[in-house]
Amino acid sequence: MSDSLSPVLELRNLVKDFDTKRAVDDVSFDHHRGQILGLLGPNGAGKTTTIRMIMNIIAPDSGEIRVLGQAFAEPLKDRIGYLPEERGLYRKLTVTEILDFFGRLKGMKRREISGKGYQLLKQFDLYRYRDRKLEELSRGMSQKLQFIIAILHEPDLLILDEPFSGLDPVNIEKVKNTILDLKRKGVSIIFSTHLMAYAEKIVDSVVMIHHGKKVLDGPLSRIRSEHGRRLARIVYEGNAEFVADLEYVEQVSDYGREMEIELSGEKHRRHLLRELVTHLDIHHFEMSDPSLHNIFLRQVETPPEEKNPSEGTA
Amino acid sequence: MKILPIISREYRMIVKKKSFLISTLLTPALMAGFIFLPMLFSRMARAEKTICVVDYSGTIAAPLITDSRVNAPELNLIDLPPREVGAEFSMDTYRESLLNKEVDGILHIPGGVRALRKASYYARNISDFETNRYLQETVRAIITRMVLEEQKIDPEVVRDATRNIELETFKVKQEGISRSSSGLDYAMSIFMLTILFTIIMGYGQLIMRGVLEEKNSRVVEILISSTRAVTVFTGKIIGIGLAGLTQVALWILIGAGFILQSSIPVSRGVRSFLTPTLALWFVVFFLVGYFMYAILFSIVGASVNTDQEAQQFAAPISYLLIIPFILGIMVTQSPDSLPVVIASFIPLFTPTLMFMRISVSMPPAGQVWIALFLSMATIWLLAWLGAKIFRTGLLMYGKKPSLREITRWARYR
Repeated sequence: MSDSLSPVLELRNLVKDFDTKRAVDDVSFDHHRGQILGLLGPNGAGKTTTIRMIMNIIAPDSGEIRVLGQAFAEPLKDRIGYLPEERGLYRKLTVTEILDFFGRLKGMKRREISGKGYQLLKQFDLYRYRDRKLEELSRGMSQKLQFIIAILHEPDLLILDEPFSGLDPVNIEKVKNTILDLKRKGVSIIFSTHLMAYAEKIVDSVVMIHHGKKVLDGPLSRIRSEHGRRLARIVYEGNAEFVADLEYVEQVSDYGREMEIELSGEKHRRHLLRELVTHLDIHHFEMSDPSLHNIFLRQVETPPEEKNPSEGTA
Repeated sequence: MKILPIISREYRMIVKKKSFLISTLLTPALMAGFIFLPMLFSRMARAEKTICVVDYSGTIAAPLITDSRVNAPELNLIDLPPREVGAEFSMDTYRESLLNKEVDGILHIPGGVRALRKASYYARNISDFETNRYLQETVRAIITRMVLEEQKIDPEVVRDATRNIELETFKVKQEGISRSSSGLDYAMSIFMLTILFTIIMGYGQLIMRGVLEEKNSRVVEILISSTRAVTVFTGKIIGIGLAGLTQVALWILIGAGFILQSSIPVSRGVRSFLTPTLALWFVVFFLVGYFMYAILFSIVGASVNTDQEAQQFAAPISYLLIIPFILGIMVTQSPDSLPVVIASFIPLFTPTLMFMRISVSMPPAGQVWIALFLSMATIWLLAWLGAKIFRTGLLMYGKKPSLREITRWARYR
């Protein structure tokens, strides 16, 4: 094993154009061993294109990628696990045949495949379906099988593109726990999602991209503290339209009875509270860390040159 | 060796399907059916028929009925003289009994048949050419005999003078001279050519659909992130090719079993045609044709996004196969004519045309080797281009590519 501080993945100034559209625009970031990196952004931000370039599925127009300390080379493929965003497997094969096929493609021996494969099938409640054809399984089951294929060969680097899409809450929990398990075993993980609420529970660091550009990256803890405890959550009754017009309020998400209010500084908490009790019936008030969702919204609303991006990682 | 799981998956996907077994058994049966059955059919399927002969001349019915007892026993001819001599023939009288199926046909022989040389046949089914031909021929023969008798000429003299001659056909091959019927040889050549054409086309389309399915289900992303695109491409073509070879081998076994069964009347003729050498050539040209067209079809599968688009692009490739197939059918008449010889050197035509030439009469060995060499070179070139287009096309989703874009993909690294 190489030095645990050396990055498992280095992206430098990646650019990719499709026809007239620039899908990835000068994206750089590092990912460190044994960590979970969340690649975040709305649909169409360039997450999948970035991942496909990391996987050497498509070539960047310019820029450099180093994976596990080297430029991409064929033998690296056996050390990377990949769950593509769009799911699909051979419908006419049985679960066992599918594991066997993809396991061998990753250079595994038959015996290793059945040992590790059956263990994972049991873990994901698929063992009793092992002789069924894929077309007889539900969508959720085939999603789980695809996840198993990505981790079957015990990769050093695992790249998951929207791993939770199409899963029910029970299985989201299973996949999430497995991801955390793998992290404990030292696997470096990248996963992309547009659902920031899932990401903030498990990621160590974050890269946010928007319209192909990186808008933010760094360890989650630092990003949070930089953005301060400036988010007030309230439960209220009454007409709260005036809140958005207060000079120290930057952003409001009103859900009718609940509201999230982002302040320009923590010191305005008292002013806000005073205003609220004067005009509304307040059932609940708390200050909390901003969610990734809020941070993201704030990043994309400020033009990139005006903000102070936190480059690199600690 | 990551190519092995790919080969084995492709191979088993096809061979394990029920349709593989069915097509293995059914294709030769169907082809044989299309080619041989029409020959047999007209003779076998002659049902019994009752036909009334309404003879106004009074001279034809009796000898016709006598003749039919010997030469057309399935026809039951009944002499039905006109009710009043001299009255006009009217079909109205007989329509009912025809429609009620009491009789199957009415043969009206007019009084002046000898001069007119004309008779009429009324029936519900007038497409039974054998019956029509029998009635026509026999009435003609009876009139001929009448004329000869009037002129006091011995019918035997005329028969002797107009006797047909038989043309025996012998096929001269390397292995020696064999007596065979040219009809059977012709049918066998077309039979083999049809099978060759069908499987090259069939397996080509199979590979196209397989690639398209992998592309649409995005399995390719996992494949390409696990191994090289060239490995996927080569593995696919080899795997499906082996499945095709298995099918051909089964056909050869079935064919051998059929030929060695000497109790089947045609088997002797087939045996002299379908030699082991020809079977070997069949395998060679199947492989050459398969590789050439499988590569083309897999490029199509990788480049397009929907079945409809695939069909559009596949059509011109199919024409490339159909043209020599049709030419091939015509080759049997003149396998060594210059246009045919030239066409058989065009690599995309070689698999079908050169095989057809070999099956009809072995061309000079040099020509065969040159054609094979050109084909191999073409396959090599296509594979080289194909692997590149395949790699790029597989990951291009969305819009239908233009032909120009596809050629540009070939230049990517």
